[in-house]
Amino acid sequence: MIYDLALKIGYEYPSDVKDARHILRVRPLTERGQRLVTNRLTITPQPDESRADRDFFGNALDHVLILPSHDGLSVTMRARVEVNRARPDLAATPDVAEIRAMAAAARDSDGDGPMHFLGDSRIVRLSEPLTAYAAETIKDDQPIGEAMLAFSKRIREEFDYAPGKTTVSTPLEDAFARREGVCQDFAHIMIAALRGIGLPAAYVSGFLRTTPPPGKPRLEGADAMHAWVDVWLGPDHGWAGFDPTNAMLALDDHVVVAVGRDYGDVAPIDGVLITAGPQKTTHSVDMKEVG
Amino acid sequence: MIAPPSILPSGSKTLVRPPAAELLQARPKGPGLLDGYAPPPGVFDEMLGADDKVRPHYRQLVSTLATMSEPERERRFSSAAQYLREAGVYYRVYGAAEQGEQTRSWPLAHPPLVIERGEWAALAAGLIQRAGFLEKLMADLYGERRLIRDGVLPPAILGRNPEFLRPLANQASGRPLIRFIAVDLGRGPDGRWWVLGDRAQAPSGAGFALENRVATSRAFPDLIRDLKVERLAGFFKKFRETLLALDDGKGLRAGLLTPGPANETYFEHAYLARYLGLLLLEGGDLAVHGSSVVVRTVDGEKPISVLWRRLDSDFADPLELHPRSRIGTPGLARASREGGVEMVNALGSGILETRALLAFQPALAKALIGERLTLPTVATWWCGQEAEHAFVSENLERLSLARAFPQTIGNEEQRRPLDLGIRLSHSERLLRDLDIDPQAVVGQEIVALSTAPVFVDGKLEARPVTMRVYLARHADGWSVMPGGFARVSSSTDPLAVAMQSGGHSVDVWVSSDREERRVSLLSNGAAFSRRLPSAPPARAADNLYWLGRYVERAEAATRLVRLFTARLAEGERRGALEALVAELLAEIGVDALLADPAKGLLDRAKRAFDTASRIRDRFSPDGWRALGDVVRLIEQHLDAPEGSDLVALSSEVLTRLSGFTGLVHENMYQFTGWRFLQAGRLIERGQLTALAAAALGGEETPEGGLEALLEFCDSRISYRRRYSVDLSRETVLDLVALDPLNPRSIAFQVNSLKTLLDELPGMRRGESLAPVSRRAARLAVRLTTGDASEANAKFLSRIADDLGDVSDLLSERYFTSGPKANADRLDVE
Repeated sequence: MIYDLALKIGYEYPSDVKDARHILRVRPLTERGQRLVTNRLTITPQPDESRADRDFFGNALDHVLILPSHDGLSVTMRARVEVNRARPDLAATPDVAEIRAMAAAARDSDGDGPMHFLGDSRIVRLSEPLTAYAAETIKDDQPIGEAMLAFSKRIREEFDYAPGKTTVSTPLEDAFARREGVCQDFAHIMIAALRGIGLPAAYVSGFLRTTPPPGKPRLEGADAMHAWVDVWLGPDHGWAGFDPTNAMLALDDHVVVAVGRDYGDVAPIDGVLITAGPQKTTHSVDMKEVG
Repeated sequence: MIAPPSILPSGSKTLVRPPAAELLQARPKGPGLLDGYAPPPGVFDEMLGADDKVRPHYRQLVSTLATMSEPERERRFSSAAQYLREAGVYYRVYGAAEQGEQTRSWPLAHPPLVIERGEWAALAAGLIQRAGFLEKLMADLYGERRLIRDGVLPPAILGRNPEFLRPLANQASGRPLIRFIAVDLGRGPDGRWWVLGDRAQAPSGAGFALENRVATSRAFPDLIRDLKVERLAGFFKKFRETLLALDDGKGLRAGLLTPGPANETYFEHAYLARYLGLLLLEGGDLAVHGSSVVVRTVDGEKPISVLWRRLDSDFADPLELHPRSRIGTPGLARASREGGVEMVNALGSGILETRALLAFQPALAKALIGERLTLPTVATWWCGQEAEHAFVSENLERLSLARAFPQTIGNEEQRRPLDLGIRLSHSERLLRDLDIDPQAVVGQEIVALSTAPVFVDGKLEARPVTMRVYLARHADGWSVMPGGFARVSSSTDPLAVAMQSGGHSVDVWVSSDREERRVSLLSNGAAFSRRLPSAPPARAADNLYWLGRYVERAEAATRLVRLFTARLAEGERRGALEALVAELLAEIGVDALLADPAKGLLDRAKRAFDTASRIRDRFSPDGWRALGDVVRLIEQHLDAPEGSDLVALSSEVLTRLSGFTGLVHENMYQFTGWRFLQAGRLIERGQLTALAAAALGGEETPEGGLEALLEFCDSRISYRRRYSVDLSRETVLDLVALDPLNPRSIAFQVNSLKTLLDELPGMRRGESLAPVSRRAARLAVRLTTGDASEANAKFLSRIADDLGDVSDLLSERYFTSGPKANADRLDVE
């Protein structure tokens, strides 16, 4: 599958800003059944410094500095991406108890080592209610792959997809208690629940195809950047994406941009601004199938 | 499972803690210094041997103390206390929420802890070995991570460690990542020193150790000489040279990066910066360009490449580290990663303070240095392992539970830098975590600490003691500060030693056999060359400028309050003049109509004092103390029962304020920083004089208005000398507004300001004027060419407005670089 992607993020500031330093994480990765074919990033105003980099988790970053006074920022990223992921045989994955034991013992300390995705991170804190939620659904003797798909379905069924009810700073415990939120909340909830029972889970940000294939329903979360969860299925199967918002595996409808412990590691645009009031944001995504 | 070596005496598995009263009865003795001195049984005492005799290295101290009369001892202790008070040594204590934080004077107890030189040498060798071990540990965790790959350390110790900072994960480059660390030690009943913990994030206390030493030298100059106590200055001198050499010969200044005045050990940061000649920098003083770091100074951006970091790593960069940090520098993590700045210690070094690491010492040492660590470590069991978890759960009564990992920001159990945290605290949370999240918990053997003698109410008492020792890494290896920073408990309970909960510090003396040559940071024998101080950071200049303004404003407010009350005190009724004075006071934030206008004065004085506290490294402790005295005077007045004399208070406050001004004028180095302070004073004085003259000397001046104006401007005597005639509006206004020779006149302030501005960085004679200078020059012309007859209220208010504009232009030119307004983060929904 080949897609043409366009991401546009714009900010309007209430007062002028200068010396603004940002980190952008908007370029899709080349990894695991996904290949970045072409890619262009446009930033306005023109940055005084701009440097491509890779973070610990292997994500593509752009460090950007804008010195002169400006009253807004706009970022446009266009890319052509080829996706061709093999559907894992979920029934053939190790069972949950095995994964838990292997994860605890895994000694790979690089960015995709399970050890980094088992404990608290800045946004995701392990908590008893979330651990209990996972323990209720996920049984030790189930194949991990099937258990994860079933767990994604449970979240999809029990939670309301309710844009505008939560923000990036809503604690995941609140969204969990209220059983509502958006993709980001569902991903955080799933991650906290899985880590609570010793399963490595990562946060993935990316894109979802905007128009469904003929005869299929439109997916939730396609008009902005999307979020889902990577789960470690053991050394043989590696990581696989599960999308609790749409109760599905993240395969060829999903394009990965960045992976981290939670949203804090992968926020598309990061930066501290000195302003006098709240900024206005616009954000749009277009992902068209071209072949 | 193999239990770690035990610190308890063999055969004894429970800790003996007899009540103090019992102890006193245990050793009845005749009168004398050691009368009633009774270390608890079963612990090691630093002064008394097991045979109840004074240990040889304590004999000199004991005999000298014994020959002193009690008043003589008290006199010596108070000279030490006086030194600490005058030097302004303080420590911030977090009290109950409603009182907020308090600063309190430094608690130094006597006599020092004396360590015999042979024993010290062995200890130092063990510490140097340990520092080398920690250096290798850090290099591995932030480099190859072989310890994890080879299974020496369980993965969770890295994976869920909040101090494993992933943006720096691969920063190891072969250069040492740690260069200044501290090790906390306690002596067990067997007489050996045990490592209680390592401090590598931003170890505090070295500055306090220096101050303790100066203070004890005041109290016991004779003993220091007789015992040939090892000096500390050499250690710091070498560390300073090391820091300066880290920039690879670029000859740049090094800085000390502080979290800022709100930090509990800010005093120490300011002190060490001054002592070592480092720039005291906050995150907002720095900016990152490419991968290099610059200081925002009033003379533009200046490169800096070495930072002694006293700011916790996670706060250092809001962009790549803690996103909510308001005290960091965006981009600093990348600059550090790319070698643009050398941080001492490297970001992420807090990982070495992980208690869980103490449970793996022998294996770590074998893997990293191939030998055993000679200093034993307090027995620690990490509950992330099944057998250890079971052992700890079954032995709760003889172990203490503690956090396995350094605490993250915002956690209520946040670590306090001077708190050793060796305490029997089976808090509910820890017990709960032992059940539901055992990886987060370690069990540690309860250390029965040795006791050292300290004077309590004139008598020596045996108090549990711990010692923090500092080490620095130089090009040729690690060196130990010969002495240190010891803490004694406020109770006889050998389990609790924490500064926050009321403990005291004592100096540590290492007795030596050689006469040491005095080393001082002041002279290094190198060729003399006079160098100008570098330009101050914009933030410091900003604070100096406002300090100048606030001190002047406090003085003006005090004069006005005195005017307001003096006439009432003489039985006059409140009239038109008082109404005008009250209006003026309201403009500078003092409500004269309150029952006691001194409340407003207190606010003014505090504002000045707080501003001064932010730049303690920039002027003398005397100046700081003078401002503190003003605050205290007014507070005492407000606390006093009714009837305290406001006029007398005002006069006293004015005396202290002019004391401050005098100190600044006489003692402060008259360069860029001083000029900003001075500019603040001149602008404030000019502005307030113009406002007062407009109000009191206007066309319809009330009865007594002209005298009041002269009084406010402290120009009565000048007036009498200059004009023999009676008071007239024109002559009074001429004197306070236009007369260039009256140091209180507006014209005098403006002329001085004009000269001063020309000397500020970036102002070059012959080039076109900066807006701020142009504005001041025009104002000066207006005042020079003005005539007393045209000095009406409108003319005077316009001068006040113009000075306001000069202030704005000055701020815009020099200070508007650091973040001040609301810092906001970009959010994408």
